[in-house]
Amino acid sequence: MGLSIKRNRPIAGTFVNDSFQMGHQLRDGAGFSPPRQIAKHTVVIVGGGIAGLSSAWRLHKKGFTDFVLLEMNDQPGGNSRWGENEITAYPWAAHYVPVPGPKAVYVRELFEDLGVLKDGQWEERYLCFTPQERLFLYGRWQEGIEPAIGLTPADRDQFRRLEDRIHEFRATGKFTVPMEVGLSDTTVDLDRLSFADWLRAQRMDSRVVNWYTNYCCRDDYGATASNTSAWAGIQYFAAREPEEKGPLTWPEGNGWIVRRLLERVGRFVNSNRMVHKISHRGKGLSVLAGDTEYQAEFVIFAAPTFLAPYLVEGMAPLHDFEYSPWLTANLTLDRLPNSYGTDPSWDSVVMESPTLGYVDATHQTLRSHVDRTVWTFYWALADGLPSENRQLLLNKDWNYWKEAILHDLERVHPDIRKCVSRIDIMRIGHAMARPKVGAIFSVERRNLAKAQGRILFANSDLSGFSIFEEAQYRGVCAADRVLSRVAGVGTGHTKRRP
Amino acid sequence: MGIGSALSRYIDRGLAYRFVWIELLLGVIGGFSSALLFLAFAYTQGFQLLMYALVIVIGTLVGLEIPLLMRIVRDRYQFRDVVAHVLTFDYLGALGASLLFPILLVPYLGLVRSAMLFGIVNVLVALWSTFLFAKQLASVRALRIICVVMLCGLGIGLAQAKRITIAAEDNIYADEIIFARDTRYQHIVLTRFKDDIRLFLSSHLQFSSRDEYRYHEALIHPGLSAVPAPRRVLVLGGGDGLAVREILKYPQIESIRLVDLDPEMTRLFSTHPMLTALNQKSFLSPKVHVTNADAFPWVDSNTESFDFIVIDFPDPTNYSLGKLYTTAFYRAAARHLSAQGLMVVQSTSPMFARDSFWCIAETLKQAGLKTFPYHVYVPSFGEWGFVIASFREYQLPTSLPQGLRFVSVNGLPALFQFPPDMSPLPMPPNRLNDQVLVRAYDQDWKDISH
Repeated sequence: MGLSIKRNRPIAGTFVNDSFQMGHQLRDGAGFSPPRQIAKHTVVIVGGGIAGLSSAWRLHKKGFTDFVLLEMNDQPGGNSRWGENEITAYPWAAHYVPVPGPKAVYVRELFEDLGVLKDGQWEERYLCFTPQERLFLYGRWQEGIEPAIGLTPADRDQFRRLEDRIHEFRATGKFTVPMEVGLSDTTVDLDRLSFADWLRAQRMDSRVVNWYTNYCCRDDYGATASNTSAWAGIQYFAAREPEEKGPLTWPEGNGWIVRRLLERVGRFVNSNRMVHKISHRGKGLSVLAGDTEYQAEFVIFAAPTFLAPYLVEGMAPLHDFEYSPWLTANLTLDRLPNSYGTDPSWDSVVMESPTLGYVDATHQTLRSHVDRTVWTFYWALADGLPSENRQLLLNKDWNYWKEAILHDLERVHPDIRKCVSRIDIMRIGHAMARPKVGAIFSVERRNLAKAQGRILFANSDLSGFSIFEEAQYRGVCAADRVLSRVAGVGTGHTKRRP
Repeated sequence: MGIGSALSRYIDRGLAYRFVWIELLLGVIGGFSSALLFLAFAYTQGFQLLMYALVIVIGTLVGLEIPLLMRIVRDRYQFRDVVAHVLTFDYLGALGASLLFPILLVPYLGLVRSAMLFGIVNVLVALWSTFLFAKQLASVRALRIICVVMLCGLGIGLAQAKRITIAAEDNIYADEIIFARDTRYQHIVLTRFKDDIRLFLSSHLQFSSRDEYRYHEALIHPGLSAVPAPRRVLVLGGGDGLAVREILKYPQIESIRLVDLDPEMTRLFSTHPMLTALNQKSFLSPKVHVTNADAFPWVDSNTESFDFIVIDFPDPTNYSLGKLYTTAFYRAAARHLSAQGLMVVQSTSPMFARDSFWCIAETLKQAGLKTFPYHVYVPSFGEWGFVIASFREYQLPTSLPQGLRFVSVNGLPALFQFPPDMSPLPMPPNRLNDQVLVRAYDQDWKDISH
């Protein structure tokens, strides 16, 4: 009874999936040995995240098999990587896809292929179960993330006007998923100021509205509203018109999609293959990775675009690509904290917390009884300069972040330390493209997106922000453009030389 | 307290005497207050009235204490010392009590005994005062005797507190509790009154042995008797073995698979003599195979086919149970139906939870099944509803097993007629991503309780 010496249960854990060492090796361009073998493929895909895997899926689906996908990490999936323990599978980052609207043609095609969309019906068990989201504010939980309790008449008025404005923007058809479909030069002015400035000009900046709009920017872009282009802020709200109560989600998040993609194209994927040089050789390309030189006619560069100047011989440095650093953690709970009269939700957010809250990996279980779970904790380091936050990520040890996470959760779960047995933490220095002011209409970005050479770019950052649908769209488009240029080329052939 | 302080001005004489009596009253009323409240909650409708009355009486008495005390001692000390002493100990006492109460007393002694203990302290103060103010008191002896009597009373209360809370709890369950156990999944309570045994799971009544035959005959026979040549039956839920007892009345049935989450439940109903008498040792039949598993994953991962499926889950009181009433669940369950098979679903009350009942029927429809809803009267439950669901048309059976006490061939058509107060309502289906049923059920019961 509290009179014994205070001692918390030991919590195990470590940093996982660190990749900055490899990133720094690339940046410094040092320590790579010359290739010892040659492999020939018509197409080499660089990067095994959603963009790269979508290129592979598209090529394979069109009957084209003379390609290889090179992934730097042990595990493909990029931001959609997942983990698994004795309790459940869980996501490492991306954990849902909003129910795609009619304009997301390729995503719908993928989901039909994966059995998520059948005869126009979304598979019920892949839609997020009730209750979906909850927000902790003023000492209690409410259903939904948009604040609904304790609003002043001014807050209500601002929310209503925001909704009206969003409705107008949606009706223009210029804000779509994927963004390229609707992008119109008539909206360029919105890319010239920050979302925060736009909201202020519209007098939609009460404390509560400000929290909510900032939360949305942190959630989708890893940035505050003042570091987000107004165009992107509006895109967040206006681009989606779900036809079903979603989103789509799985215990392992978008890792489920990666698993299904790997079932289809896994045999083309080479993991632990860090590409360190791409150069033009006559009419073709040479791609160096590990001990192999891949000779190809085309490269689909699906890795984050900021890496390209370090890899592609003769490529000019890039200026318009900025990325938000993130930290995610998976917490193993071998008992559930007291939930004070609310049903645990899929996504739990705490107002006034600098973090984005947590997602419950067992929420999508079909079981009725759950007594252990895994929470995925999300923290976009949105305040301050990305470079400084990246330094912070690197400099602080696991214990520092563990304590920061537990402190944050203790606000709403005072007994959290008695429930958690393990915290694994993933640090992602360049987690998401940040759609800062000017990023959407950046000439650099738009030129790379429609590059006509033998290197085609496919990462989601070519849309200015990192979401699943954009990655998938870019990946599929790059594959289609390659296919149109290699028409007639058939199945694969690989020659090896000692 | 304000009332008490205000009233103190009207007390002119016999200050010490009245102070002692105030302490005594506080000791007795305060000491027994929480026991009284527990009992009032269990046995009467007047809990709130009593609670406010007690708050006012105790508050008034406490409010009288300080003014009287200050006036009693004002001649002994300077005014500033009186104020300083009295208020110092008043505040310190308040601090001590407010810390002791939540940290030590309530967790270790419970509410009833904590109140008794504080009562004893008050009576001791009264007793002490008879010594302190002996000169100002006329009948010291009599007061001291009253103090001792009250101390004894409170002492007995302290010793018997457990029995008071049990008496109160017993009355909440109305009958004598003969078995209570917290399992990993639920709180199982069995009560008995004369020959009536009742089962409560997490405080929800599951059956009363006096009329459960009505429920279980109605659950099984209208459906099972309409299946031509049934051989294999699946029961989801129903860990009490009572549905299985009814199914065993069909000798042609070769195997019954029962899937229930809680092994404690099926073990209890396989071993407890009173309960095996009730289910006629149905779990001991060699035809019965019990699997302790979560129903949805089991249904989802198995491929066995059955001629009759009984879905008898607790009511959809929360989102976890609500998953077992969704289109996704019924689709998964229906995959186990043989060509001529029928399914029957416990569907709450079409009378008290009319929205919920028709929501379940709609959910079955949206899962691609034809539905045939019916209802029965079970005295301990009230009007209760079921839905037969199938890929084919359902026709009333023309014969039933021998020896049924409630369901009869002649009585069957009436079960499928719904009077206007229970007739169909348009409801959306219950889906995993939009559990309208749990909300409707919550609202239905809110509407008829206070």
